[in-house]
Formats: sequence, C-alpha cells, structure tokens
Amino acid sequence: MHKQLIKLTVNGDTHELAVAPNQTLLDVLRNELGMTGTKRGCTAGSCGVCTVNGEAGEAICSCLTLAIEWDGRAVTTIEGVQEGSELHPVQQAFLEYGAVQCGFCTPGLIMTAKALLDVNTSPTEDEISEALAGAICRCTGHIKVKKAVRRAAEMLRERDAAAR
Amino acid sequence: MSAKKEELSVVGKNWSRLDGVDKVSGRSIFTDDVRLPGMLYGKIVRSPHPSARIVSVDTSAAEALPGVKAVITAADAQGILIGMNQPLLPTKFVKFVGHEVAAVAALDEATAAAAAKLIKVEYDVLPTVLDMTKALRDDAPQLHQKAKRNVGWEENLDYGDPDAAFAACDVIREGEYVTNPSHNCYAEYHVCVADFTKAGQLTMWTPTQTALLFQKSLAAGLKLSDSDVRLLTLNSGGGFTGRTATRPHHFLAALLSRKAGRPVRIRASGDEEFTMCHAGGKVIYKLKSGATKDGRLKVVEADLLFDSGAYVESQMIVTLLTSRYLGALYPIQHARYRGRLVHTNNQPYYFHHGGGIAQFQFALGQHLDGLAQDLGLDPVEFNLLNAVEEGHTTLEGSHYASCGLKECIEKAAAKSGWKDKRGKLPKYKGIGIGIGAMASGAKGLFKHDTSAAFVKIADDGKATLFIGLPDMGQSSHTTMAIIGAEVLGITPDDFQVVSGDTASDPLDVGAFTQRGTFNTGNATRNACLDAREQLAATAARQLDVDADRLVFRDHRVYPDGEPDRAIPFKKVVYDTLHSLEGRFVMGRGFYNSPLKKGTMAYSFGAQIAEVTVDPGTGVVTVDRMTVAHDVGRAINPRIVEGQIDGQVFSGMSQALYEECVMENGQIMNPSRLDYKMPRAFEMPEVDHIIVETVDPNGPFGAKEVGEGPIVCTMPAIANAVADAVGRQVREMPMSPWRVLRAIQ
Repeated sequence: MHKQLIKLTVNGDTHELAVAPNQTLLDVLRNELGMTGTKRGCTAGSCGVCTVNGEAGEAICSCLTLAIEWDGRAVTTIEGVQEGSELHPVQQAFLEYGAVQCGFCTPGLIMTAKALLDVNTSPTEDEISEALAGAICRCTGHIKVKKAVRRAAEMLRERDAAAR
Repeated sequence: MSAKKEELSVVGKNWSRLDGVDKVSGRSIFTDDVRLPGMLYGKIVRSPHPSARIVSVDTSAAEALPGVKAVITAADAQGILIGMNQPLLPTKFVKFVGHEVAAVAALDEATAAAAAKLIKVEYDVLPTVLDMTKALRDDAPQLHQKAKRNVGWEENLDYGDPDAAFAACDVIREGEYVTNPSHNCYAEYHVCVADFTKAGQLTMWTPTQTALLFQKSLAAGLKLSDSDVRLLTLNSGGGFTGRTATRPHHFLAALLSRKAGRPVRIRASGDEEFTMCHAGGKVIYKLKSGATKDGRLKVVEADLLFDSGAYVESQMIVTLLTSRYLGALYPIQHARYRGRLVHTNNQPYYFHHGGGIAQFQFALGQHLDGLAQDLGLDPVEFNLLNAVEEGHTTLEGSHYASCGLKECIEKAAAKSGWKDKRGKLPKYKGIGIGIGAMASGAKGLFKHDTSAAFVKIADDGKATLFIGLPDMGQSSHTTMAIIGAEVLGITPDDFQVVSGDTASDPLDVGAFTQRGTFNTGNATRNACLDAREQLAATAARQLDVDADRLVFRDHRVYPDGEPDRAIPFKKVVYDTLHSLEGRFVMGRGFYNSPLKKGTMAYSFGAQIAEVTVDPGTGVVTVDRMTVAHDVGRAINPRIVEGQIDGQVFSGMSQALYEECVMENGQIMNPSRLDYKMPRAFEMPEVDHIIVETVDPNGPFGAKEVGEGPIVCTMPAIANAVADAVGRQVREMPMSPWRVLRAIQ
C-alpha cells in the first residue's frame, strides 16, 4: 500500500508524516511519533484505553480512526493535558481521589472525562456514567473514577468563577 | 492477642501514590511501550481443533516471505514444559483450541500475522471430550496415559470424624453449585519482549505478579541458571491472580529471539488475549453440611470437580487453596474435602480473580445461607452465632492472632439496615450477606515465603527503598514507602521505590497469595529499622542518651519525652556519613513466616448486597453494597477503599456477567464487547467500613486487603438474588436467563 503524506497536529505541534492508508491514529501516535502515553487495548473500540480528544475536544477511539482521515487536523493526547508543569484539574482529581490503580486505562479515562468536562462542567451522575460507559477499568470498578470526575467538574467550575 | 494500637504519624493517613503523577500524565511505561533497536514482532500459530494429530507442519512458504526472520516449530522447543505436563510445542498431538504449534518473528506485526497464516499444518481430527462429567466416564477419550479416567490430580483430606459428626447433626443440607469459565480481562493484554541475543543470557520485559517465579520458570525451561534470566517488570496493567505463572508466549518469544538474533515482542491480538490467558475453568461444587438444632455448624463436606483443561498448568494450587477455606470462617472440627482436576480438551486453566477461593465461596456462602434458613435462623444471626474469633486455629493449623469477623458482620448489618430490610422488602428486591476470610501469604506453596528489602539513605535525608514486590496497581510501592517512613520518622514522598529488575531487586516471592503488605511490609519495616539503628548510633552520641530512647518522628530525632532537644533527621544522616567512619546508611531486612506452612494472619470481611431483579428479563441490578473488612490496620485508607471497590466490581462482574461461552472448545465471545463486565452506570454505591484489629504479626498491625473483599462479594450478591426471587441461582454467572429459569 502506497504511503501518503499527511499533516497532523498533536498537542499543538504539527508533524508531516508518510502513513499507509490502513494505519490508525493510535499506530501513528505510538509508533511513528513515539508517544506511548496513549495505550493500545482491544483495538476494536470496546475498551476505551486509546481515547484521545479531537479538534472539538470530543473523545475518539484512536484505534478505530485512520490517520489519513486526520490530515490537516489536530488531536490532543494525554501528554498534552498537563498545563505547563501543573496538572490539569482532571489529572489532579484522579490523583486526589485514588482513581488511579494500575494506570493502564488511566490516560483513556482522563481523555474521556476531559471530553465531557470541556463542554459541560456541571454534569449529572447519569451524564458522567454515560460518558464513562465506553471505558473499562477492572482495578477501580469506576467508583472512584466517577467521584474524581465529579471533583474535577467542581474544580473547573471554581476556576471559571475565579477567572470571571 | 491483638497488639496495642500505637500512635502513628504516617501510617493511617491518606497518601497519594508515588507513581500517580506519571500515571495521570502518560509518562508511565508498560511493556507494550518498549521498543528496542531491531526488534521483531512474533506471532503464534495455534490449533483450531480441540483434539487432533499433527500430520505435518510446512513452514517453507512462511520462511520465504520477505520480512520473516525466524520460524520455530516443535523441533526448536524440545523438552520445554508448561506447568506439570504440557509440551511447549507438541510434536504429535494438539489437545485444545489455541494449542501452540509454531511461531514466527518478522519485521512488523502485519508480516508476522501473514507469515503465521502461511504455515500449513495438516491435522487428523480426533474425538474430543469437553465436559468434565463425561470425561470421568470409562468410555471417554483419555487425554493422558497416567491420568486414569482423566483425573489429573486429586486431593483428599479428612479432618476430625466427618461421618460421626454428620450422624450427630439435627439438620443436614446438600446442594450442587457451578461456576463457569471466565477470563481475567486485565487492561493490559498479554505481552512480553525477549532479548536472547547474547548466548546464555535472556532479558525479558513482561507484566507479572512474580518476577522470581517467572525467572525460575524461564531458566528451568531454557536450561539456564536463574541469574542468567533477567526479568524487567515495568508497570503491570492489572494482575487479578492471572499473572502468577509464565505462559507459552514467554518461552516462544525467547526462542524466536535466540533464533533470529534480535529482540522479539509478542503481544496478544484481539481475541487471542482470551486464548493466551487460560483463566478460570468450570468448577462443580457438591456440598454437604450439618448443624445441631441450636444453630451450630458442625461439619462441612465438599467434593469439587475442576476442569483442568488439557494439561495441569497450575490448578493443583486451587485444590490446595480451596481446601484451606472449608473451616476458615467457622470453628468446625470435622470436614471432608475432595478435589479432582479433570482433563478435558478445553484450554489448560489457571485462575480468575479470587484464585478459586472466591468462586468456592459463591457456592459455600449460598449453601450455608440455605442451611441457616433450614435452621430457622436469619443469615446474619447464623453467621454471628458461628463466626470464628481471635485465637481460633484452623483445620490446617493456621492460628488467628487477630480476627474481626464478628465486628465486620455486626457493622455491615447495622450500616445496611439489615434488620429493617430482610424479609420486609417488596417482591423482586432482596438483601443478602456474604462473609469471607483471606490468608496474608501462603507458606507451603513454596518452602519459603520470603520477602527482602534494602534501604539506603542519602545525606539529604531522602530514602531509596529496593524491593522485589511488583505493583500491578494495588499501590504496594507506596504502601512500602509509608511503612518505611513511619519507621524512620520521615514522609512517604521522601522515598523513591526501586523495583522491577531481578538483577538488583532483593528476593521477593511476589505479589500474589496476598502476601505483599504482610511479608514485604515486614521486610521493609525490618530494613528501615536496621537503617534507623545505624542513625541512632550517631544521634545517641550527639544527644548523649541511650540509642533505644530515641524517637524518630516528623523529620526529627529526639530522646523520648524531650522533643525540644531534637536534631533534624537530615542532619543525623549527614553527620553519620560525613564523619571519620564515613558510614553510608544502608538497611537490610527480610521476612519469612516462622511457620512450616500456612499463614500468620488472615483478613476477614462481611458484605451486604441489595439487589433488584427484573422479573420480565431476569436482569439483576445491584443497588448498594455495604462492605466491612478487617485489614488489621489500614496503612493507606484510601487505597484500602480502592482495593475494596475493585473487588466489589470484580466480584459483581463474576457473579452476574462474566462467562467464556464455550462451543466445541472454542471461546465464542472473546472480546471486550461480548465478554461482559460492568460499565460505570451499572456500579452500585459502595459503603466502606474499615475494621482495624491490629494484628500482632503484621507491619504496624496490617493484614492483606488484596483479595479478601472479593471472597465476600459473590455470596452476598447470590444470597440477595435468592432473597429477591425466593430461590437460589446455583450457577455463576447469574445471567438473566439463569435467573429467569429460577423464577419460573
């Protein structure tokens, strides 16, 4: 299969890459760019560990996304969530509330939570559960993850209020 | 007798995990992230048949494919056994679907997969036996000459005089329960990277619960000295009792690497994850118990049939472990245990989360709930009447130096509102109790149950702890830092924990049999006490007091009762090194239970489940779980809660959902989508009650919390379902169709 040149912006940096038409975004992030923060799970869209955020901040499974579809577009990965040397409120809340155990699904969970909170800083319980429905986490049983998302929403609301 | 609760300054507070920042920011490295120069990608060729004779294996087309660097077949794997009797690559017969036949290594995953497809294996399909009860018949195909009627292992144990005990009982109950094949579903798929390019020296990266046993197993199989196998454990994406033994892919990656002269990675692809895992097999539990009319349980008899699959990989451990839990919860003197591993043409099984013990408790917990009702007793009453207490010695000889079982039952019952709910709920709503015990360590599986630790303290007052205990998410490294910090009077964030390289790690049996907090915790405590003694010598001279009068607390060292004379901890370390002696502070410690076999401490728990059953669909919703667990001492309470949460999830998941649906030896639902686990919206609220009995032998009184809670979850939910629908659902998972069948 002939490779094709694409321009892909990851966490603000634009890369010009030659990719095969069947290469996934996950593959390009991990193997072409060496950004292994995004994890490889089921590669079938059912576990959520490879979640990254698209241009509008939406949660996407990078394992089901062809890299060539993202020519000229931008994604955010777990490596781009931290704000300078400060953790993002979602990251802080995950730490504070013990929502991290083995850590393999954590990047995907954080990107999933961030996608929700970027558009809705006052999610209901049902909205949190629905947003997390595509992510599997055997270690935490989702319990502290849900609490962390609630706490992150609160932190983001406080931050918004302070900025006003 | 429980130890006095000493006043602690570090243990018992909520500490963030030391690896937390790395884990939330994408910095944490797992095995799949390892890329070595020239690394190849391996792919395994597997049998599609549950039983067949291998007629021929033709690798020529695969070898001719550009990009293929090595192909191995049975000829390359002579004499390597998996478990007791499974040849790594069989020469003549394949005995289960997924049985490894050959393997390839190529420049990329796609080429490796294409090459694997080009390997032509001709099979002569043979009769199969997939059902344990059929395998026991005389006319069943025999899988192994030595295993008569396909019984590959048998354990028979009698305690006391069970027959006489039954004869003296007023109420006797019998019942049969079943648990089905399941899969651990770790977040991180099976993966390893092998570098066997230097003659006689293997380096391997892989997630594991026990680098020591992996090292020994690889060395034995590959005819190397243990120290010539270097195991590198990075982060491990979950363990759940499933990463305690090497699997065929570990050996195949090593052999491919040796043949190709390049490092090789093998990683399970999609449905192959289920084939590689060999998690829990089907078990049939025949139970009988007897009680006197005063409600006292007197005797339990268990006859267990385990589907071992085509070989005995490690299931004999399950027979040993389940036998130990017959009398762990009740002070019975009489019991009979029979456990048989039965060969079938299913995949050779290891175990799912709970190690067979939790699954056994699904059966025993329901059975005894029924016995309580036969006796006319409320299950909470029955359990309180019969529960073991401190000072009890189990049938196999373990002594309970601390035991909070009754306290757990009382507190869980009170918090859940049991009295107001049991028998008073509307139809199709139910409440049930499950209780459990879990050993902290299991000496007897090996001659020693040793953990060792080193600590060094730099002249800036920071400590580096070296341990061999893996952290698969349970936060064991942070737990060890907390224990060390308490001893030295500093804080956990003063610690770096170095672990994961057999070349530098002190010996540790590993993170399984719930031995980490107890064994490695004691080793860490001992290492830090050793270091403290070295520092105390300096401080004693400076303060002109006896060393044993010194207190190490809040980064200071002072004579007991005279905190105003304190010297900063950092200064004591500095002065110890920058002296004529130049002593660099290094502590060493180890811990091995003084018992010949058995366990020094057990954790205990009680859980109460509240459920709603939809009578139209049979779907069970868990509304609330009230969990009380006696952990001895909560070193890091939030982490204890996290352990409880994860086990409630896993217990509920196994109780209600998880099943490898089998057809002709093939798993029909090998994906994260089709193999169901709870999603976030299906999880109930969990109330945590941490009971602290302060065990005299645990580090600061701590016992395990890694697998105790899950033992209670399955019977709690099962008993709640029985309460809701009026009949027990005796087969796990309690899938909607099984619940409906019980209702109708």
